[in-house]
Amino acid sequence: MSLWFALSPLIVLTFGGLGLMMADAFSKTRSDLALGSFLTFTSAGLFALALWIMGGVPAAVMLKVAPYIVLDKFTLFFTATICLGGAISSLLAGGYLPEHDIDRGEFYALMILAAIGAVLLAAAGDFLSLFIGLETMSLGVYCMTGFRRTNPRSAEGALKYFLLGSFAAALMLYGGALIYGATGSTSIEGIRTALTSGEFGTLRDPSRLATVVIAMVLVLVGLAFKISAVPFHMWTPDAYQGAPTPATAFMSVVVKAAAVATMMRVLLVAFGDKASSSWSSGWPPVIAGMAVLTMLVANFIALRQENVKRMLAYSSIAHAGYLLVGMVAAWGQGNEIVAGEGRAALLFYMLQYTVTQAGAFGALILCGSKGKEAVTYEDLAGLGRRHPGAALPFALFIISLAGVPPTAGFFGKLYLFRAAVDGGFTWLAIIGLLNSALGAYYYLRVLVFLYMKEPAPGAAQATPMKSGYIYGALAIAAALVLYFGILPGKALEMAASAGKSLGAKIEVREVPTKMPDTATAALP
Amino acid sequence: MMDFWLERIYFGVCAAMAIAGAIGTVAFPNPIRGAMSLLFTIVAIAGMYLQLHAPFLAAIQLIVYAGAVVVLFLFVIMLIGPAATATRDARGLLARAIGGLAASAVSLQIILVLSRKVFARVPVAQGGFGSIESIGDLLFGEYLVPFEISSFLLMIAIVGAVAVARGKQPDPQLADEGETKAPKPTAEAHP
Repeated sequence: MSLWFALSPLIVLTFGGLGLMMADAFSKTRSDLALGSFLTFTSAGLFALALWIMGGVPAAVMLKVAPYIVLDKFTLFFTATICLGGAISSLLAGGYLPEHDIDRGEFYALMILAAIGAVLLAAAGDFLSLFIGLETMSLGVYCMTGFRRTNPRSAEGALKYFLLGSFAAALMLYGGALIYGATGSTSIEGIRTALTSGEFGTLRDPSRLATVVIAMVLVLVGLAFKISAVPFHMWTPDAYQGAPTPATAFMSVVVKAAAVATMMRVLLVAFGDKASSSWSSGWPPVIAGMAVLTMLVANFIALRQENVKRMLAYSSIAHAGYLLVGMVAAWGQGNEIVAGEGRAALLFYMLQYTVTQAGAFGALILCGSKGKEAVTYEDLAGLGRRHPGAALPFALFIISLAGVPPTAGFFGKLYLFRAAVDGGFTWLAIIGLLNSALGAYYYLRVLVFLYMKEPAPGAAQATPMKSGYIYGALAIAAALVLYFGILPGKALEMAASAGKSLGAKIEVREVPTKMPDTATAALP
Repeated sequence: MMDFWLERIYFGVCAAMAIAGAIGTVAFPNPIRGAMSLLFTIVAIAGMYLQLHAPFLAAIQLIVYAGAVVVLFLFVIMLIGPAATATRDARGLLARAIGGLAASAVSLQIILVLSRKVFARVPVAQGGFGSIESIGDLLFGEYLVPFEISSFLLMIAIVGAVAVARGKQPDPQLADEGETKAPKPTAEAHP
């Protein structure tokens, strides 16, 4: 297998993104950018699947770009997930942007380039490429949030996101620098070797261990910011509400998927040694605490929301909490079998969350049209009777978010909480279940308004928009939600196999110890 | 012995300049003074690169950051108007106090830990370290992959800048979701 084929998802995305930008700039007639970016994402995802079916990338090929880009099955799984999220979001953009008079071609280029950043982030096996991937993704998403600059909400959300995001990225970079200082390596594999072998005296010297802990905390802050876990969630509701809805869908699925992938790679591989990943002195209690806090805070605030888009933003934060429960389960107290189950559950949860959440935002777009948007619950009142075609997909995605069978959300939560119980975290699973019950209240409220309420006389009513793109996106998302909800076996099997490949040794070539300054030289 | 102390003094001066500049950047209410403080920090860091036997990096630091970035900042500040200063804002004083305390506690802890000798020993630099040749060697050899993927970062920065700048075009839909309805009280925006 040649390196070209191994990197094909990235190559397809690059040429697709740049080509669409050129098409937008030079074609005389209006080009169909939404369909183009949908096809770009789909073919990149299919290339990732093809690589998977061929048994993954052989180690000899992987070594050519390792440790900066790791092309294991874990990366392929996340590449496919990211491309799926991107494909649905680009179709949503095709319907939403013209309807709301912000149809400018840069949006698609930004989306595809940001997705390249996300894939690089998921694939990064070194803090250098990790940071470049993170920044590439973030810059694209900041710009997408502020795409409607003349709208004060959009500008406010973008500015908040940008300032806090830059700060979180700086903290993470500082953490990376400290870990390089403590272990002499920037690669995930190298850090692991240094921490386990104690070659640098990490384990023997308590103050050096303290440096590692500080570095770990700083890196964790950066990652928790990206998955919007409490207490680093402050930007989320404003950014999600202010952004054009397709950008919100993209942020809530693609950015989160990439951040979860990095978090798994950094915590389970780089900091997967005994000391750093023990309950007494390592990261697991921090993640567990953050999970509890995230679920509780997000669900309680979501209960009080009157704006449906804002409710979905808080719901997205709550799902970050469930993902963190999965993170603890994926650690599994160091037990291989339990950890394998946890990793599979976490990856499956991420996959089903991608289609469900993107679909929910899509359904929200469908329910409104220009000047008659669906903003509050009241706007949705009676929609089920007036426009059953628009209300039905919304209902489907909402019950999947709530975790009701036969939808994907049910199996996602089932596997996740079962893995947590098997890992000895019954209390965490119980808190998660109680939170799901709490979440069901505000999710079902949407259904109540859709089907059981009538709009107050004279009140503004949402009118569904008409767009083939949105119908297509919702059809794909709905089909996958039902598929994962009825036949989850195949996807779970893939998730298990992807989880197993994470951190597996590829013979990393010998890198001579580098001078401290050369690391900065690469980023002038 | 003399060399040792000279080195220490040189480093101390550079470090003090860098820290003073950094504090000035965030503390001055006048943006022009802030930009000049930033320049101070940048020059001090270039001085540190010199001490670390990286003259090329020091030169790049001066040309790119001092010569281009800060000048660009100054252009923007002049365009907005140099009189534009931040107004005093007493909102969220309690939150700011708590945040400040928490940040200071974390910083203090980091300083305490790092003040012990904690870093891994790295071998002494070989001859030619920090020269243009050796940096080029690393950039196009060992670090080729990160070097290449940083082009994505530059690309998206350019596209993003264009996208946001073009957003100024008259947007007929000034009012949209949220704005068409009665505006929500701001308390809801900050739960």
